[in-house]
Amino acid sequence: MIVKRLLLFIPLVLILLLLQSYFWVPTYENQAAGNPDRLVTYIEGSSGDAKILNPILNADSSSSSIVSQVFEGLLDLDENLDLRGRLATDWQISERAYLVVNPHHRFPDGAEVTGARLFQKIQEAWKTGTDEGLSKAVQSVELLSATQRQDSISLLLPNAEGRPQLKDVRVAVHVPERVAFTLSQVDQDLFDRLKPIVGEHYFEHFPYDEAIHPQEELAKETEQALRDKYQEILPVGEHNPIIVFHLRKGVKFQDGHEFDAGDVKFTYEAIMNPKNLSPRTPDFEPIKTVEIVDPHTVKIIYKRLYSPAVNAWTMGILPEHLLNDESLTRETEQRGLSAEAQKAFGMRDSQFNRQPIGSGRFQFVEWQGDEFIHLKRFDGYWEGPAQYHDFYMRIIPELFTQEVEFRTGAIDFYGAQPHQVDRYKNDPTYQWFSSLGFAYTYIGYNNRKPLFADSEIRKALGMAINVGEIIQYLMYGEGERTTGPYPKNTEWYDSTIQPLPYDPQGAKAIFQQAGWHMNAEGWLEKDGKIFEFNLITNNGNPIRKNLMTIAQNAWKKIGVKVNTQVFEWAVFLGDFVNTGDFDAVVLGWSMGIDPDLFQIWHSSQAGPQQLNFVGYKSQRADELIVRIRQEYNRDRQRQLTHELHRLIHEDQPYTFLYAPLSTRVLDKKIVLVEEGPDGKEQYKKIYPTKSGDITFYFHKWRKLEFTPDF
Amino acid sequence: MWNFIIRNIAQRLILLVIVSFVAHSFIHLAPGEPSEVDPMNPRMKPEDIAKIRAAFHLDDPLYMQYAYWIRDLASGELKSFKDSQPVLPKIWDRFLNSLPLFILATLLVWTWAFPAGIYGAVFRGGVYDRGTVFLSYALISVPGFFLSYLAILWVVGWFGVPVISIKTFGMEHAESAYKIMDRVWHLVIPSVMAAIGGIAVLSRYVRSQMLEVLSQDYVRTARAKGLEEDTVIYGHALGNALLPFVTMFGLLLPGLIGGSVIFEQIFAWPGLGRLAYEAILSRDFPIIMTLNFIAAVLTLAGTLLSDILYAVVDPRIRLH
Repeated sequence: MIVKRLLLFIPLVLILLLLQSYFWVPTYENQAAGNPDRLVTYIEGSSGDAKILNPILNADSSSSSIVSQVFEGLLDLDENLDLRGRLATDWQISERAYLVVNPHHRFPDGAEVTGARLFQKIQEAWKTGTDEGLSKAVQSVELLSATQRQDSISLLLPNAEGRPQLKDVRVAVHVPERVAFTLSQVDQDLFDRLKPIVGEHYFEHFPYDEAIHPQEELAKETEQALRDKYQEILPVGEHNPIIVFHLRKGVKFQDGHEFDAGDVKFTYEAIMNPKNLSPRTPDFEPIKTVEIVDPHTVKIIYKRLYSPAVNAWTMGILPEHLLNDESLTRETEQRGLSAEAQKAFGMRDSQFNRQPIGSGRFQFVEWQGDEFIHLKRFDGYWEGPAQYHDFYMRIIPELFTQEVEFRTGAIDFYGAQPHQVDRYKNDPTYQWFSSLGFAYTYIGYNNRKPLFADSEIRKALGMAINVGEIIQYLMYGEGERTTGPYPKNTEWYDSTIQPLPYDPQGAKAIFQQAGWHMNAEGWLEKDGKIFEFNLITNNGNPIRKNLMTIAQNAWKKIGVKVNTQVFEWAVFLGDFVNTGDFDAVVLGWSMGIDPDLFQIWHSSQAGPQQLNFVGYKSQRADELIVRIRQEYNRDRQRQLTHELHRLIHEDQPYTFLYAPLSTRVLDKKIVLVEEGPDGKEQYKKIYPTKSGDITFYFHKWRKLEFTPDF
Repeated sequence: MWNFIIRNIAQRLILLVIVSFVAHSFIHLAPGEPSEVDPMNPRMKPEDIAKIRAAFHLDDPLYMQYAYWIRDLASGELKSFKDSQPVLPKIWDRFLNSLPLFILATLLVWTWAFPAGIYGAVFRGGVYDRGTVFLSYALISVPGFFLSYLAILWVVGWFGVPVISIKTFGMEHAESAYKIMDRVWHLVIPSVMAAIGGIAVLSRYVRSQMLEVLSQDYVRTARAKGLEEDTVIYGHALGNALLPFVTMFGLLLPGLIGGSVIFEQIFAWPGLGRLAYEAILSRDFPIIMTLNFIAAVLTLAGTLLSDILYAVVDPRIRLH
């Protein structure tokens, strides 16, 4: 019966056809032997695909890891996390400052303030050197005459549904006479130094209504919103920090075009172009102008003091000739878009973001969505080509499959999970590196709630938790105790601060002092109410979930009743964190390298949707935070951050738990290749920088045919 | 017949509009925002977020957002939030990646489920039958992703060959025969894994259908006539037992999208299912909506096709 046979044969033939393909696939041993290129190819696994390969547009880690290879910034961070020049050879920071004549004010001696008098008084003080800081930093003083200017001010107003929307208002600004200062370095205290001359209250009560005139009829709310912006439109004392970058000569983009100052200016303008929706705008918005002094010198003038803006120049520089309006128009024509789409077309839509060209060490070859991104080394790189010829980022969403691929040699790098670290540390085939990152985990208390209003109570709650045990058992030892808001591997962290001791008895004593006593059921009670609250966290993070249980149990031992709950991320943020409607949360921060903590700790950022969601309020902390972001001197910044760290540690708005260690595993055959004194290659073991980064010397990495002995 | 088809297409078009509108509302009302307006980026100011929201039309009323989506979809200029790339070419690329996996898995299901089910029915109660019943219930109960992990570990551990993703890395310069076979090999494990569940379920249906047909009077008559057992089973019974399965061809269509999300995720396969999954995670509304729309079109087309096929193969059924 033919049907019967067919029913049997078809499936068997099909499966045999499929299985024979096995014999065509090379095993790993064969592959390495027959494929010498493998040794100069680096393959990395990534759990997510890149989104957009453009340094001013990307916001995710996969895109940035590719972008950082393809593009290069004016500056970058060296082994010690100090800034060093890349596309810029060096840079100077100076300042120009302006003091507006406040005609309604009187000097401390009773005389009326006029431009000439103000200028004369300041010049006297500067020349005679009554204030040392003033005479040291200020290089010249001059008097500027009054001017008029037209401004367009963007106001954020709630629309009919209460969502914030932007509205532009045109205003005419009458700028009175001003005294201008030229300073050799940024001095955020300049105007404080002038207070003895001009009077304590000189900077308040400026007659703004006389100086700023809206050019249209405004609704009441709009007028109020404009009023709130007065000090920004015309500050009485204005700091204009200036950075002058000297650019490296002879640097080429990967298409052979030479890099110059025009590219820097273009990159800035692209970020600020509202059409591009760049997530980098906050760091570049404080810029007033970018001037091209000559093809290899750029002068950047800022509107106000904002020191994180210097670090921002580590961002990659775009090639102007490939992305200017002309090129974009040409692209829309080639793609044959409709008139409407042509009008809306911006850098975000350009194919450049799928095949970028920069001036970095590696140049783009191919991108297969959700599969891989292929780069090859750029032979024309100004510092010389990298050792590796090819760079692949493979997209493998599952960690498990990543590990399988790593163990068979199909990827070169694996970030081990805490529970796997021991296994890899004891395996002689691999080399491993363990270091701190920029992240930490904490329990945050809603400081607005009366239950947590007292810093002593928050401290007692922290003392009841055995963090050492958490690190040992929950993190398999892959974590370090942390005491404050800065990453442990930066100089902003004050390592002399001692963590809270694990002391349940001491915690109980603190509660007793605050009037809480143990009731018959074993809970702390005061005025007939027991100490009870809800601890929540987001779903999908088993470590946080376990942490919650551990904390719950630890607090139960001292008589604090805690209910725990886990929510889906969007709900967790939307219904609890953003609205401030929670008692305590288990969460983590991943910090940047910059010491600016404004968004997370400043009291003005404690509203709904803002990041100081625990509602931490401290006048001294606010002052310090503002001083830190206005300070351009690293040593002074460090002193301030240490003070802030100590203050936050004492206030304990969070219980700071631990900073996780990340362990990276590599094939032992991958080494650092350096040229020895005799011109021969020397092999060195890969070592991490002070900040724990092992890829800092990535351009010297190569895989050897043999396993070296170090 | 033609009347029926035209009327049905019209009905389904209306249904399609309703489905897409409801889906649009659900997707936008669900909690979470596109990752581009993620307020957890500490540097983002309300002004920046307001700008991005405006560019994505997120503050417009829902029906306006729906209208924008339809307009852009029709003009082919719909763009992903994530990377501003046109949505349709993106979906088409992924579709081409998913297609071989889908075809092979379907082939495996249909070629293996029928013999497995038929022999089970013919030798009812025997060792083979009881063995396959046990096996298929085991396979239905064990989650596919778990089996996949075991398979990966086993294949990689024993044979030392790569099984993840669509091809082996570093084979760019190999001969084309090797490259093709390498691609076939990479298809084997994921498609077998994707097919196993289907084989287990479908073979159960085939078995019970076959049992029902075998107990009918005309089969007894055929046997009474003294026909060979094989002729009775494969000549008389099989055709009738298979009739209901013809309709299932139509229902396969929607499986093209999202049929193998889990397997594509595990095997790092750059297909449609993963595109959908990642889009959902980052709330990339244009992609989610378009994929959802295509899935709805395929489902409606599939059910129509089933109805028609059934009428074609079964003369007892007439469409009005």
